[in-house]
Order: sequence, then structure tokens, then C-alpha cells
Amino acid sequence: MPETVSRSSRQRATSEALLELAANEHRGKLKVFLGMAPGVGKTYSMLSAARAAKAEGKDVVVGVVETHGRSETAALVDGLEVLPRRTAPYRNRVLMEFDVDAAIARRPDLLLVDEFAHSNAPGLVHAKRYQDVEGVLQAGIDVWTTLNVQHVESLTDVVEKIAGITVRETIPDKVLERADEIVVVDLPPEDLIQRLKDGKVYLPENARRAIDKFFLPSNLTALRELALRRTADRVDEQMLTQLRQRGVEGPWPTAERLLVCVGGDEQSERVVRSAARMASALKSDWIAIHLATADRDEGDRKLQKRIDKALRLAERLGATTVRVPAKDLTAEILNYANRNNITQVVIGRSPSGRWPRFLRRSLSDELTAEAQGLSVTVIAPEAAAARRYLPDMPEPGALAAGMAVATVAVGLAVTTGLLLEQLSPLPNMSMIFLLVVLICALRFGVSAAVAASIFSFFAYNFFFIDPRFTFTIARPHELFALLIFLAVAVITGSLAGRLRDQANATRARAEATQSLYEFSRKLSGAPKIDDVVWLVASQSAAIALGRSVVLLSKGGADLALEGAWPPEDALSTPDWAAARWAFEKGEPAGHFTATMPSAVFHFRPMLASRGTLGVIGIAMSEGDDNLPAATESALQSFADQAAVAIERTWLVDEAARMSTAAEGERLRSALLSSVSHDLRTPLASILGSVTSLRQLGDRIPAADQAELLATIEEEATRLTQFVSNLLDMTRLEAGALDIRRDWIDVTDVVRAAAKRGQKLMPSRKIELRMKPDLPLVKGDATLLEHVIFNLIDNAHKYSPASSVTTIASARLESGAVAVRVTDQGYGIPNDALERVFDKFYRVGGDDGRAPGTGLGLAIAASVVRAMGGEISARSPISNGGGTEISIMLPEAVEPARQISSKTT
Amino acid sequence: MTPRILIVDDEPQIIRFLKPALSAAGYATVIAATGGEALKSAATEAPDLILLDLGLPDLDGKEVIKQLRVWCAAPIVVLSARDRETEKIEALDLGADDYINKPFGIGELTARIRAALRHAARQSGQQTHVKAGNLDIDILAHTVTLDGAPLKLTPKEFDLLAMLVRNAGLAVTHRQILTAVWGPAHTEDLQYLRVLIGQLRQKLKSTPDSVDPIQTEPGIGYRFVGET
Repeated sequence: MPETVSRSSRQRATSEALLELAANEHRGKLKVFLGMAPGVGKTYSMLSAARAAKAEGKDVVVGVVETHGRSETAALVDGLEVLPRRTAPYRNRVLMEFDVDAAIARRPDLLLVDEFAHSNAPGLVHAKRYQDVEGVLQAGIDVWTTLNVQHVESLTDVVEKIAGITVRETIPDKVLERADEIVVVDLPPEDLIQRLKDGKVYLPENARRAIDKFFLPSNLTALRELALRRTADRVDEQMLTQLRQRGVEGPWPTAERLLVCVGGDEQSERVVRSAARMASALKSDWIAIHLATADRDEGDRKLQKRIDKALRLAERLGATTVRVPAKDLTAEILNYANRNNITQVVIGRSPSGRWPRFLRRSLSDELTAEAQGLSVTVIAPEAAAARRYLPDMPEPGALAAGMAVATVAVGLAVTTGLLLEQLSPLPNMSMIFLLVVLICALRFGVSAAVAASIFSFFAYNFFFIDPRFTFTIARPHELFALLIFLAVAVITGSLAGRLRDQANATRARAEATQSLYEFSRKLSGAPKIDDVVWLVASQSAAIALGRSVVLLSKGGADLALEGAWPPEDALSTPDWAAARWAFEKGEPAGHFTATMPSAVFHFRPMLASRGTLGVIGIAMSEGDDNLPAATESALQSFADQAAVAIERTWLVDEAARMSTAAEGERLRSALLSSVSHDLRTPLASILGSVTSLRQLGDRIPAADQAELLATIEEEATRLTQFVSNLLDMTRLEAGALDIRRDWIDVTDVVRAAAKRGQKLMPSRKIELRMKPDLPLVKGDATLLEHVIFNLIDNAHKYSPASSVTTIASARLESGAVAVRVTDQGYGIPNDALERVFDKFYRVGGDDGRAPGTGLGLAIAASVVRAMGGEISARSPISNGGGTEISIMLPEAVEPARQISSKTT
Repeated sequence: MTPRILIVDDEPQIIRFLKPALSAAGYATVIAATGGEALKSAATEAPDLILLDLGLPDLDGKEVIKQLRVWCAAPIVVLSARDRETEKIEALDLGADDYINKPFGIGELTARIRAALRHAARQSGQQTHVKAGNLDIDILAHTVTLDGAPLKLTPKEFDLLAMLVRNAGLAVTHRQILTAVWGPAHTEDLQYLRVLIGQLRQKLKSTPDSVDPIQTEPGIGYRFVGET
């Protein structure tokens, strides 16, 4: 079985190696000139090599080279193209920084960038130069750079120990590991010191003082060893990589996996660094784990910050970090190690005193005892850091408050005790004190409880134990009882206090869960994108205890500020840059990160299945160096949920658009088929009748011949009407229909229309109920007749042949003239009432077979509206059937009636 | 005995001219405005031919054909619009005998009616002798003569011609021909048919400008026009 495992992992290694090779093909190559200390001649070597490369015909460009005024170096730069620096204002000075964009735009074969570990001026896109270089490499440009070994992150504490200097400018080990080539620029320490004495080594003014301490032969030798060892490790690794890429069979070192346990104590960072060095030496993956225990971790902000810091360091050093909630630490570590094929566990020894260990084994001891098949490395605490860490150690303020509460409580207990004694002597007064201790524990926590226990101990002795009002105790058994009381009080008090702390922690967690749940519930209920954005902005601001912004990119457009809490409509330039970065790379950027740290907001991308939708930005009101882990995870889950919700609303919108388009398409094809049907049917009748008459005329009886001729006439009329309706509609749509504004008598117009309607369908009964003395209205008589005819035609189409169509006119109170055409037909369903005036809309037209074209009412509505009137439909009128279409024509200032009637 | 025609159309205008026209042409007419009525009348009136409009208010015309064909052998001529090609093909495949595009002249309609009635009569009598111009085709004798001289046809060409001749005067769909000549596995192989029709037309032509007895029904199939 073990063989199988090792073979499969070996095969995996091979495919990973090939993937790595493929990924590296488009990347530029990074070559690092590594030195043990300033002054060994890294820049000099790099430039010499670059000149040689240029001589071979390579396009070499200097991005940044610090000559520090040394003529030898300057001479080497001479003749190479040097990119102009970009300026970055910083405080009162102007700093000259490497211009990444210019370098990428210039696209040389090879770019020289001095001082790999340099920190950029605030306000630039990246905090560190190595991040700039990463961008250049991704653009496919080869880069050569220089680095001193002390700047390697995992070595900083070793360097600190060796040389006694604290290194602030560091680069993550991962970056150096990704370098394709490392060239050691070596110089014996003695020679370096000689060069220093000759003034050949440039050192900044403020570093002069450190020289004597730093450039000692012993220091330099140690650093030299570090540099050489680092490089030797690399060579080893490169050989392995090549073997893997060529598919050469082992023996390779078995894959080691390292787990480092990160606690909240002072030495956790040191433990992480040690683990990083071990992992680097083993060339293995490593994982930093923090086990969060419910009873102490939550609510202790200092502790949380220390844990965050240590985990972040681990991340920088190349570890995967995890947080696991745990109750039994040892079991959880072993469990995790088992599941993740961990081979080695690194843990710091808790620097606890002797007697807690007597009560309980320390975690490291327990782990060593319980671990099976694992090697456990215990890092001993440093003397300086050997202060014991008290997880429950409250802040000074809280301690003082606890003392005060305890004093008051014990005072009350004494008073109560003395009063009770007056009433009836209690056999055991200590119970009152125990009660007070418990109350303190439950209300104010462990420290108040312990303080109350101790105060009670003295107060009980002083007030209630003979001889009273002294601290002396007369009877030995009472001393014994008193000590037991103290023990009981302390133990119950701290247990009750811890219970309270746990309850608080549980409540805090429940609240966090609740708020997340509330958020997701509200999100899922938010129908519109604006609601979602508002929710996300307000909730993010709430968890950040500060401000928030939400930026979205719709359909590939640039990011736009969609919402902010409190409302805001502009962002600063660095914030925009950070937001875009977070959006494009899908990684957090801005404040608290290495990318655009000068931004005010911290941005996190909202990732959904179709890619990044936008970013959430928060600005915390409390100044903090690091983003608290709780806030970070809450923000992350907010971002994830928000992305889903936003994507959902976008999809809903899109679906709605699609269905509208599909509906339009369906309408068009229905229209086409109905128009063709309406044109063809009269044509078929006419053609059929005409051909019948011509070919069979002599055989058709006279009555039938007349019938055929009538058919031809009627169908031709119908066709004419249909064509003119179509033309009217087209003209109306094109705005080409001239509407005259003549004085017209509505009664005359209605009569004419009714006559036409009667002629078209002689069998139908039309009843006119016209009010006499209707005022004249302004309008187009021909068009109005057409409108009323259309209404009559419509009434005929939608009612049984035997029914009566009524046309009534009336003068309304407003002075307008109303014409109502009422049928006794099937009526119009409620939901269709609104749409009957839409073009090509026909009631009950599912099979495309309803009579009519859906144009008559549409034309009527357009014409009436164009004449300033109104049109409306009402149904049912009575007995669940019938439709009434009303036209209201506005009152116009009437001319003298006689004149108009004479002239017309 | 005058043949009885069942007219199925919901447009009163169409009925209005068809009824007198068909009476004058010597047919008795029965009217049905819906699919349901059509099925009922087909059962009770025993029509000799059914004129069927595909767009009916209650039932799809194709559904009417499907139901009719279960028990009714009367020829069905479909009245349809020119742009509903797929509908026509489906109708023919379902068992309709012919179709006519709206609007149509009465002469064309009566010709189609006659052809369909003739075909129905032949179905029982098995007459298989057709003349078209100077072409003489006898399916049973397996002989095809042009201007009196025998024509040599390949077996496939003869099968195709026989298929068309048996349905002389009626439209036959591509699918029906392909199924009859090549078998049901080749119903989509239109290219075979095109090539074979081309060869056949070449052989049946006496002079370059003589009338082609095989008419193309665009998008639908072919029709053989000749006299019996």
C-alpha cells in the first residue's frame, strides 16, 4: 500500500513540474545577484554581465541602478539605455522611483532593476519593488536584479541574531524561490572590510554608526555562509526540477509536509520563521494552523492581533494558513495532520511556569506523547520572551473595574451579614460571601470574582470570626474553614466567570452568524440591483465600523461607483487604482495589503461564476495596521454572497430582456401570418368567383351568378378597407397623416359611418341614439368617419349576427362631445382591456384566426388622440357581455352656428 | 351519379363562391365550418372527395387528415396558403392526395378535383397506362415508348417513373418518393432523387423544347401530368 501512495505522489510531482514549466514559458526569466552584505559588488557584476549580453546583441535597458556616485559603476552604466524614473512626492521630498509602466511599454529583452528588496514611496501601485518586478516578468520581459541575503524574510531573525540589526525591507522567500537563476557575488570578508576602509563601499549616512557592529569578520562570515547555503539549496532544487521535467525516476526525497501550530503567544512569530526555514530546507509544503478555542480566543483583541500577525507572516513565507475551531487542541492537531498527510509538526513550547505543568501537561508535551508516526519539533522559548502568557489576563482598566466591583460587593455582603446577625444569628455567614462571589463572577467575569473571593476572605475573617474586628483567628478549625472557603470561592468564582466568558463568546458568535444570516436573507429578498448594492454597502459599513463603497462593472464596462455608505460619489486616485487592481486580479488590494497600501479603502473582489462582478471597499474608523481576521472573513463571506445576489439580479434582468425580445419575435410572426391571411382570403374569394363566372358562367343559375358578383364586390371593398387601414397605420406611424382642424358636426359624421357600416354588412342592425344640438368640434371629418366606421366594424366582428350595435352621442359636463359604440358581443377580458388599442392586438387571437387585423382600434386611438380627444374601452356592459368603446372629443370655442351651417 | 364534395372551410366568403361554382361544375356539395363538423359529415354524408382548409378554428387541419385517414379513403385536396410549405408537406405525408394554393382559379381547382377522383377510381381498378404527348407508359407491361420507339430505363428510373405515373395528376412529396424507391432509410437523401429525376427527364424528352411531363412542385415534390 505505501508503494502505491509514493508512486502516485511521484506522478503528481511530474505533472506539476510540467505545468510549472509551461507556466514559466511565457514569463520573463528572473536572475538574482545575491550578496552577503552591501559592498560585495553585486551591481558591478550585474552591469558587467549586462554589457556582455548587450554585446551579444540583446536589447538591454536599465530600469533602476544606484551607482551611489561611484565612478566604476557609473562607467558601466554608460552606453546602456537608462529609463527615466518616475517621481513620487513623499512628505516634503520628491522620490525618484522605478517606472514599471514605462519599462513594460519599452519591452526590452532584458531589464536591470537594482535593489530587489526596496520599498516604494507611498502612493505608488505597489508597496515593494519586487512586486513591480513581478509585473515586468509577467509581461514576458527578463529581469536581472540584486539582493543582499539579510533581506530574505525567513532569515531576518537569524540575521538579527548574528549581526544585531533589524531588517525592515524584506522579500518573501517565495519570490526568491521563483527566481530562475541565482548568482552569488562573493567576496572574502577580509577583502570586503578592506574595500570598506578604502571607501569603496557606499553606505547611507544613518547606517554609518552601524558599520562597526555590522562589518565584523565574524558577522560577515556568518552572512556569507547564509548566502552560499541558500544558493546551494537552490542548485539542489533546480537539479530535482530538471530531473522531474525529464521524467527521470527517483530516488527523490519523499514528500514532506510540515505543520506549524501558531498560538497567540509572544514567540509565535519566531516559531513560524523556524518552520519556514525547515520547510525551505526540506523543500516541502507547509501549513500554519491556528486552533481557535471558544472559551478564550474570542473577544481578546490583542491575542487576535498577534495570531493574525503570525499567520500573515506564515503566508508571506509561503505557507498555507488555516484556522480550525477546536476544543481538544491535541486531538485536533493530530486529526488535521492525519487527514492532510503531515509528516512533521512544529510547535513552540509554552513558556509556562513549573506548577501549571504539574497540574496539566503543556500542549507540546501532550502532542509529543500522543503523536504516532509524526516527528514533532518543539521550539524552545527564548529567554527574553519567556514571560508567561496569561490568556485570561485582563487589560488594566478591566482589572481596576473588577477590583472596584468586588470591593462594593463585599461591602454589601458585610452590611447584609451584620444586619442579618441582628435578626437571627446565622450558623454559617460564609454562604453570603460565596453568593457575592458567584454574582460577581456571573456579572463581571473572572477577575472580579477572584478579587471578590480574596476580599471576602479578609472581610469574613475581620467582621465575623472571633475575635471580631481583628485579622487574628482564635480557633484553629476556623482558620481551616476559612482557607477552605477561600479555595471554594476562587474555584467556583473562576468557573462561573469562565462560564460567563464562554456565554459571551457564544453570543458574539451567534450574533455574527445571525447578522450574516440576516444579510443573506435580505439579499435573497432584494429584487433589484439597487437594493442589493445598498444592502451590501450598508452591511459592509456596519462590519467595518466605518465606511464602505461598492463598485460594479456592468457588461465589461469600467468599474463604476454604484453605492456607498455613508453616501459618497467620488473616490481618490489611489483608491480607484486599488479598486481596479482588485477587480482585474481578483485579489484584495488597497489598505492592509501590499498593493496600493496608501489607499484609504480596503477592496475585495466579488467573484461569481461569470468572473469578477465588482469590488467592495471598506475603510475602518479605528486605525489598525492589520485587517482583523473576524472582519476579513465576514467581509469575504459578504462579498461572496453579494456576488451571487448581484449575478442573480443581472441574470433576471437578462432573462426579462430575452423574453421581451422573444415576445416581439412571436408577435411579428403572428402579425405576418395574420396579414397574409387577411389579404389572401378576400383575394381567394374574388379570384374564385371571377374564374367561376368566366369558365362555368353558362352553367350557373342567374341567382348564383348575382351572388358571385356580390361576393366579388364585397370582398373587394373589404380588401380596400384593409389596405387603407394598413396605409393609415403606416402613415400615422411615420407621422405623415395630415389631420385637418375643421369645424365638424359629429352627428353627420356618425350617420355617414353608420351608412358605410350598414352597406358592408347589410344583415346587421345599427341603432343610432344621437343627442340633438351637439356642439361642433374641431377635427378631421374624413378621419373621424373612418374611426367610427372602424368601431362599428369592430363591434360587428365581435358580436353575434343577430345582435344590435348602438351608437350614442352625448355632451359631457366638461363640454366635450362623447360618442359611444356599444355591442352585445362576447366582451373583452379584463386583462385585455388595456391592450385593445395596441397595434395588431386581437382578443382571442391564439390560433391566429380571430377576425380582423388588430388595426382598426389602433388607428381609431391614434386618430382620436391626434385630434386631442380620448378613447377608452369598457367591458362587460351587461349580463357578462358587451363592449362599449367611447370617444371623447374636447370642446372647442364655437363660431356662430348659423354661419357654419350655412357655409357647410 | 354526381360526385359529392365535402367543403371544409371556416371562411364564409370562400364557401359563398365555392358552393355555386362547384354545383355548376357538376358536383354536389356538403359544407363544414369546423374540424369536428368535417369529421361528422365525412362519416354521415360519404363524400367522394374532401376539400380541406388547413386553418380551422377548432382542430388543426392536419389532425383532421390524421383522424380521417384511419377509416376514410376518400381523396383529400388541401386548400392552403403558398407560404405554409411545411404544412402542405406534412398534410401530404399524412395522407392528403393533393393541395392547391390560395388564391386559386376555379379551373385549376376542378382539374385537381378530377385528377384526385380519377386516381381514387384507379386505386380500385388498377389502370396503369398513361400517355403524355408522344410518350406512352405502361407500368404493368413494363414498357415506356417515346415516339413509338422503346426507351431503355434503369430499374431505379423505372421505379421512380412508375411511382409518379400511379399518382398521375397529383403531387407526390419527396419523402413519399424516396420511401417508395429507395426505402424508408433514405427519406432525407434528396440528392439521390434530384439526380435520378434529372436523368429521367433527359430520357423522356423527344425534342429539347417539348413539355416536361414531370413538374416540379417547389419545396414539396413532383407531379406527373399526362392523359390516361
